[in-house]
Amino acid sequence: MPITILPPKAFRDQPPRRNLNHDSDDVMSDATSDSEDSDSQPGGVSLDGGVTIHPRKRRSAAAASSTFTKRPKTNVTSSVPRSAIVTPGERITTDPQWMRGHGTYLSSASLGEQAITSSLAGIVTRTNKLLSVRPLRARYTPEVGDLVVGRIVEVQAKRWRVDVGSTQLAALPLSAINLPGGILRKRTETDELQIRTFFAEGDLVVAEVQQLFQDGGAVLHTRSLKYGKLRNGVFMAVSGTGGGGGVVRSRRQVWTLEAANNGGPIDVILGVNGYVWISKHVEPVVPEEAKGQTGITNLEEVVSATMYSSQNDRIEPETMREIARIRGVVTALVENGLRVDEDMVTKGYNEAVELALVSADGPEDVYLGGERGEQLAAALTAV
Amino acid sequence: MPLDTSAYSLALLRVDGRRWNELRRIHAQIRTQAAADGSSYLEMGHTKVMCVVNGPSEPGPRRGATSGGGGGGGQSKNAEVAVNIVIAGFSSVDRKRRGRGDKHILELQSTISQALAASLHTHLFPHSTINISLHVLSQDGSLLAALINAATLACVDAGIPMTDYVAACTAGSTSTYAANDEGADPLLDMNHQEEQELPGLTVATLGDSDRVAVLVCESRVQVSRLEGMLAVGVDGCKQVREILDRVVREKGIKMIQEGTVERGVGLNDMELD
Repeated sequence: MPITILPPKAFRDQPPRRNLNHDSDDVMSDATSDSEDSDSQPGGVSLDGGVTIHPRKRRSAAAASSTFTKRPKTNVTSSVPRSAIVTPGERITTDPQWMRGHGTYLSSASLGEQAITSSLAGIVTRTNKLLSVRPLRARYTPEVGDLVVGRIVEVQAKRWRVDVGSTQLAALPLSAINLPGGILRKRTETDELQIRTFFAEGDLVVAEVQQLFQDGGAVLHTRSLKYGKLRNGVFMAVSGTGGGGGVVRSRRQVWTLEAANNGGPIDVILGVNGYVWISKHVEPVVPEEAKGQTGITNLEEVVSATMYSSQNDRIEPETMREIARIRGVVTALVENGLRVDEDMVTKGYNEAVELALVSADGPEDVYLGGERGEQLAAALTAV
Repeated sequence: MPLDTSAYSLALLRVDGRRWNELRRIHAQIRTQAAADGSSYLEMGHTKVMCVVNGPSEPGPRRGATSGGGGGGGQSKNAEVAVNIVIAGFSSVDRKRRGRGDKHILELQSTISQALAASLHTHLFPHSTINISLHVLSQDGSLLAALINAATLACVDAGIPMTDYVAACTAGSTSTYAANDEGADPLLDMNHQEEQELPGLTVATLGDSDRVAVLVCESRVQVSRLEGMLAVGVDGCKQVREILDRVVREKGIKMIQEGTVERGVGLNDMELD
């Protein structure tokens, strides 16, 4: 059977393989030179972990080509140098003056020297003498004071377990919520028995990180009128702080937006963990009989009566449409790698309203995917 | 057609035209699925594999125990690495029905789980689970190697700290066990046909070092040939690592260019003060 030998095709994704007429002894030299002990006997296995291997049989000239040589660095046609990011296992420095931070570990370099090595694909950041690697993308890591949106996944005896998009579930103790009836009300055993009347599985809450455990777990609290159960809106999960785009920590995570097209006021809550809540703005209802009374805790008392309700209010179709439009804006921002904060969402929303006006369907058109999203992103980055 | 070994001895070319120490084309992508924490797609020749990583995250209360064995999970101090492999019915030439409890798949799962658990820094994520889901779309040999490489890439994309890449490839020998052929050559990166005919092993190493993370040999091979095969395999792993590393770098640089991630301090700037 005749065989035609074709030269291997050069693929775009693969570097040109060097087919050189190496002397056959060079073939394995890379494998052996890596470990220090040069064992001249074939079949030597050093006990310190590195395996030194000599091939029993070597072919000469015809078949020998370089198995592994230092690859020429591929030309990245850009201003960003290859050293801009580090990848797992890449040695950052052996200089002992630096301390290692997150995303790094110590590995032993030669001669008992310790090298700070990256354990992530990301960028190197420096805080004084502390070196850390910020990942290109990772899950949310909680910090004290973060405003987060979460979902209750488990109800326990005295606390709830909340999914906040972190590596662990956060805890929300019964003692850290505002009980109906004002701040001064004492927590009783009845409350423990009725724990599901406050939050049940699947409920969405907005809360603040109060405390962190040593292992990275978070404890939340909702002891403010700003926090508590969420209703009248739509939930969306985008990537949060920790790496990549998405929601960033900023001065204001919660604000009310006056929607166009008779949409009325709309609340936007950007959880630092990347969970977003967009809802109709509802003014706290003060019943007639309570209006005459005075007192510091009065408002809180009245408001807290409706605080743990899971019943949605009536939402006008116009409001729903504008909520959907804001949701589209946030999705478009994330898809195009832009940061999500008050400024961008507000600008993006105004831009989206303009875009809808010129579209065929008029202001009712809330579609912001695909080209429309790119158009929106382009308009925002141009400003 | 059996592997034409006579042709090999003449031209020193394998059935698919490669030389003994050449890898097949490796094409890889990361961040293929927006919804997942990490994802990758990898082709080694015609072996095509997709991987999705979710986690580390704490499983909810009502979830059953997952398969896999690396690390403890649950209330333990280390994250559990749970691997789930799905082999598509259309992936190979004959449509084989593989049940959930298929021993072959279970073994692949536990091998990958243990290999990755050793490289990933699971101690940073107590009580949590890293769910790795692998889908085999097309099979043409070196399946375990492709699965390990895809899983490693997806874990890098998910931003899970690890000691180094776990890069894998296969190695074989040009003669069968029975043939007492002194001139047997080691082969790198076997395709399906070669795997059927010839003895082979899968080897995975940790990064640039010679530290072997996985070594699986399921065929009879003469012990004198093993060493050469292992050497070629370890060497192939380094080439694979370079390819994987380049995929990650290119994606990272692209993200910096797009402004998704701001630039960090360059390594050279640090030496200034």
